[in-house]
Parts: sequence; C-alpha cells; structure tokens
Amino acid sequence: MVKFATRALVAGAVALAIAGAAQAQEVKSATKYGNMNTVTQDLMNRSADDGNNFLHTNGNYQQTRFYPNKQINTANVSKLHPAWVFQTEVKDSLETSPIVVNGVMYVTTSFDHVYALNARTGEELWHYKQKLGPVSTYCCGPNNRGVAVYGDMVYLATLDAKLVALNAKTGAQVWSTDVADPELGYSETMAPTVINGKVLLGTNGGEYGIRGFVKAFDAKSGKLLWTFNTIPENSQGVWATTDATGRDMHRDIAAEKAAYAKNGDPYKTLGGGVWQNPSYDPATNRIFFVVGNPSPDLDGAVRPGDNLYTDSMVSIDLDTGKYSCHFQYIAHDVWDLDAVSPTVLVDVKDASGATVPGVLHAGKTGHIYVHNRKDCSLIRFSEAMVPQENMWVLPTKDGARMLPGANGGVEWSPIATDPSQGMAYAINLHQPMTYHVENAAYPSGKLWLGGAFKVIPTEEQWGNITAVNYNSGKIAWQVKTEQPMIGGILATAGGLVFTGEPNGTFEALDSATGAKLWSFQAGAGVNAPPSSYTVEGKQYVVVGAGGNAQIDAKRGNAIISFTVD
Amino acid sequence: MRIKSLIAATLAMAAVAAIAAPAARADDIEETAAVCSACHGEAGVPVDKSIPAIWGQNEGYLYLQLRDFKVGNRKNVNMSEIAAGMEKPVMKALAAYFSAKPWPNLQEPSAPHDVAVHAENINNSAGCKGCHLENWQGDSVTPRVGGQGIQYLRETMAQFRSGERANNPWMAALLKTYTDADIDALARYLAGY
Repeated sequence: MVKFATRALVAGAVALAIAGAAQAQEVKSATKYGNMNTVTQDLMNRSADDGNNFLHTNGNYQQTRFYPNKQINTANVSKLHPAWVFQTEVKDSLETSPIVVNGVMYVTTSFDHVYALNARTGEELWHYKQKLGPVSTYCCGPNNRGVAVYGDMVYLATLDAKLVALNAKTGAQVWSTDVADPELGYSETMAPTVINGKVLLGTNGGEYGIRGFVKAFDAKSGKLLWTFNTIPENSQGVWATTDATGRDMHRDIAAEKAAYAKNGDPYKTLGGGVWQNPSYDPATNRIFFVVGNPSPDLDGAVRPGDNLYTDSMVSIDLDTGKYSCHFQYIAHDVWDLDAVSPTVLVDVKDASGATVPGVLHAGKTGHIYVHNRKDCSLIRFSEAMVPQENMWVLPTKDGARMLPGANGGVEWSPIATDPSQGMAYAINLHQPMTYHVENAAYPSGKLWLGGAFKVIPTEEQWGNITAVNYNSGKIAWQVKTEQPMIGGILATAGGLVFTGEPNGTFEALDSATGAKLWSFQAGAGVNAPPSSYTVEGKQYVVVGAGGNAQIDAKRGNAIISFTVD
Repeated sequence: MRIKSLIAATLAMAAVAAIAAPAARADDIEETAAVCSACHGEAGVPVDKSIPAIWGQNEGYLYLQLRDFKVGNRKNVNMSEIAAGMEKPVMKALAAYFSAKPWPNLQEPSAPHDVAVHAENINNSAGCKGCHLENWQGDSVTPRVGGQGIQYLRETMAQFRSGERANNPWMAALLKTYTDADIDALARYLAGY
C-alpha cells in the first residue's frame, strides 16, 4: 500500500491540466498509466489498484469500494475540509456515485441530469438533461445512481427506461435506445456497468409486476446483444420451506402447489428487478448480481412457488448471458426483504479454512451472506446487524409486526470492504413496520404491492454503521446512528471508512475500530455513496448531499469534495 | 348536486361527439380541451368541488387516467363515456396540453397546526412522499396532490378505501388502514399546502 501511494503521488504530479470552464470544451488528461484520452478496457481492469481515478460505481469490477490511496488517513483526517462545493440544478433525492476519470468527474441527479465537473475545482464542464417522456414509473424517488464510462462515452440509464450514450468531452447525445416499456412499470435508476464493449443494465419494476432482466447492449451502437430473464418460465423451484439461515417461512406448500396446478406459472408478472450493478470476475468471465422481490410484494397467493430467481444471487456468462448458478435467500418472499445491495468479489475462507474466490452480499434481512464464487453456494452468513423479531410471521389484513421493516437491514446501499482486514462495512436501518396483505389483480403497470407496509410511528427508528469479519461472520464493531441509514460507504487504504447520514452528517471512522475521527454537517441528507480520487497529487473524497425520497431525508443539491492541505 | 350531475352528463354527451374523431393536431386539441374545460374549468378551477383540477397536473398521470377510463380500470359516469372513443395520441396530446397549463389556486385554506401534525404523522408512517415527493408535487404518473381541491381529495381517498376506485391497488391497500379522521386530515392538509 505504501508503494502504491507513492506511485500515485508521482503520477499525480505529472498529470492533469484541466481545460477551463467553457461548455463543450475538451479536457486534456493523463493518468498514471500513460496518456489515456479514453477509458480503455485495460484501465478499467486495473481500477482496483488505480489511486487516481474512480472508474466504476463501486470503485472496480469487484465492487470492493476500497480506494487504494492513503494520503488521507487516520493521522490527518481531522484536517479534512471542503475543497469545493458544486450545486446542481436539481434539489431532490441524490444517490449518485461520482465517477472520476483523468481529473474529470461525472455526477448525476434526480430526473436524470448529468454533470461533468473539473474534479480539482468543481467547475462545470458540461450539463446534460434527459428529456423524459410522459410516463416514468418508479416507486422510490426520481433517483439516479450514476453513470458508467468507457472509451470516449458516458452511459446513463433513465427513469423512462432508456439507455443513453453521451460524448464524454461534450455531453452531446450519441445514441439512445429503449430498454423496456415504462408504461408496464419498467424504469432505470441504476448506473450501467461496461465490460469488454458491453453495457450491462438491470431494471426496476419489482413493485409493478414486470418480468425482470439483465440486458447487454453494444457500447458503440446501443444494439441489444442478449437478455437474461431473471424470472425463468419455470419459476416454481424446490418448494423450499426455510430461508438461507434455516428459519421456517411458514409457507402452505400444499395450497401453493394446488394454485400452481390450477393457474400455471406466474412468471410473466413475477417481478425480479435488478437494482444495482453486477460484479465481474475476469478469471471466469462471469458476472454476479442480485435479483429483487417477487410481484406483488406482500401477497403470495397469486404467485405460488419459490418465484425463481427473486431474492437470489445469480451468476451468468458475460459473453452469452447464459445461466451459471444461483442461490436463493428467501423463496416465495412476502415481506419485500429481498436482495438489492450490490455483490462484492473477494477471496474468503471457506468452512474448512481454505481461501477460495468468494462473493459477498448484504441482505435486507440484515445478514452479510458469504458465497463460494464457483457454484454460488452459501459458505456462511454473518450475525444479524439489526434486530430481527417475529421472523417470518405472515402478513395479515390488520398488519403483522416484524423486524426488519420492509426497507430492510441493508437497503440498496453498497457495502465497502477492506480485504487486508477481511472486513466488510455496511450501513443499516432499524425501522419497525407492520406488514399488511390485500389481494388485488395485476393492475397493468401500476404499483402492485399486494398490501402495504407501514412504519410504526410509536417505535424508535435508528441506524448502524457495522463492520463484519466476513471470514468468521462476527460483527467486529458497530456504531449506532440517530436515523436509519441509506446511501453507501467507502473504505480506503488510509484506514478509514466514509459514510453519510440522513441528518446531514458526513463522517470518517477508523476502519479497524469504528472510532469517529471527523465529521461535517452538509446541510442536507447524505444518502449517496462516497468516492475518492487524486488530482495533481492531492487525494479527495467526494459525496452528494441531496437527501432521499424513500426515507424522506432533507433534500439538497450539493456535490461536496473534501481534501487535506 | 342532482342538477350539477345532469349538467355534467349533458356536457359529457356533447363531449363524446366532439372527441370521438381523431384530434391530435394542435388546433383540434384546443377544441377538444375546450370540452374538458366545461367541467374542469375555463381557467383551471373546476366548476364543481368534486371535480379535480387538471391544469398543471402531471402529464403521465393525466394520460394514464384517460387510458384507465377508456379500458374501464377507473370508472366515472362522465369520464368513462368521454374516454371510451379516445385514441392514444389524443389522450397523450390532452395530457401534454393540460400539464403545460399553470396550476390554479383553488383558494383552499391552510390546515391548522394540529391537522397538519396529524397528516405529517401519517406521511411518516406510510411514506407518502416517497411517490408524491417532497412538496406533494408528484411527478410523471404520480399526481400532484398539494393544492388539489379538498372535497375531491376526501372523496377520492374514500373511494380508494372502499374499492370504488380500483385503478391503483397500492393506494387502496394503504388507505384501508386509515380512518375517516385520518383521510379528513390528509385532505385538509394537502388541499391547503
């Protein structure tokens, strides 16, 4: 790590002269890997060791959210201060992961605006506004979680279910393609992932009776290359009666089998959205992602069977989109405690103590699940990071209390890892809720939850920042926060983790102990994943402060970059 | 009320004749929209308090309601008949036309503090702003409810709860968990927002 940081500093010293403020001005650039004017596949592959750029939504293809520069560290983080603040035009829910390449930062806002900024000064280089169609169908706020970069293009997925390619230097639209029909409940809030010329994209819509997918598009033309349906035509599965942790889910298998025989497979409207980016394993050329809840969320009567591959971790081949393996956490979920936080690829200890390629996923159940990458099998699950009570009581008309609430113990928020410590870092929610069931027919693209979940107003809510040893499943440390947490977290080689809270606090903790070392009041909810990058030899940490629609955190419109002098 | 209903029904019949023909051109849309204004108001203020304001309403929402009236997912004696003969381009053109108009001031009073607190507590539990957004403006297929007429809001929520309005099962399921007093507080708070 020391060696790497030195290289990064030297590289920074020879790098980057950013062109001025004028719109559409070209950006001169350089990185430690040479005079790269475009984002090459080689650069993308090396992103885990890249101490200058932040090239992927979650840092690198493994999605470790571990930034390898340690210029900002436990010894000097107390001196961290804003380097610049950029105000976007949109004051609403902000979930963007800033991407930084060659000193240029790309951020997005609600309603699908994209900004290119000078990462050293915060100066605006260009601003793109997607002209949204009349129908955008989304459940949880007009969010966008960021762009992908590749070659000389920037890729944006939109609320009205389009994939758009922009010229990275000017922000001009190069092509646009329809991903799915928004009138049927499809929408996009995730950042795309680009690998070997393929733009990968999942879909929202598990609350609208869609049939979920991951699609691959040609990066140059936007042409559809393949589609993997997250709901197979035979979705019944093995009629599992227990969840991944062995707890009884109180299914009436006989009734389900009778309904299945009578009504057939419900695959056409079974949901199974994919909310977050896949991770990528170059060694096997496979991607790993998680699939969300079945539709309707709370009423299982209309969808008998295990509802494959909802609430599952799935692996497929990058080139063909063909199924490789899966692991289902909750069969026939009727609580919306699904799988949304992105997968992470790290080496892990298996049950015998041998080191094997692994996959991590932080579930809405509040566990971190540890898988064997080879066959998706479950090696272990962590201690619960949040209270679990009354699991798995079935929803009722009057409402059944169960913890975690439907936003889960971990929402879409990406986790971070520090492989040198064997540690995963997650942010949690504790929101006691009641689960209500109400039968309703498929409503053609309208919200279809099959009931309701409601926060219990008289009960206290709070959150956690939790460090889990993924080789033992034990919680190493935990820090309570005053509100439930949604956003994300970043670990760095400086021995730090950075995260934000709905009350506007953005903070740095010692990644080994959880000790709070620094904090800043951003004035609006910090509900976005932080990134880090280095320009001209100086490391920065950047985060969006715009609040959140889903948990109604105070809205704002700031992108704030921090550094030490 | 009976007289108003008769007037509305008469207007509806006239509207059916006016809208049955394709009307996607700008001139035609103006003509068709004039029919709508007979009930929804010349300046965006509805002629009856049980009729919603549609000036400035979100485009996707207006389009989907027309679609739902046409296919029978939402029922209203006047609107069902009006929408029955409407083609998709006309629905979309009308939605775009009315969404571009300024939102009218319906002169609804602000809710007193205790009513506002009651309504905000419901929001905190049900997460209304997750869809209707921070200032109750909604977006796209989710309606603006802030500043809508109090009587329309109260009646609509009651209709969702009873199942009479069935084109959004989520709203129906959610509202079934609330009382008349809760609905009244929400309607007063939102209308005066």
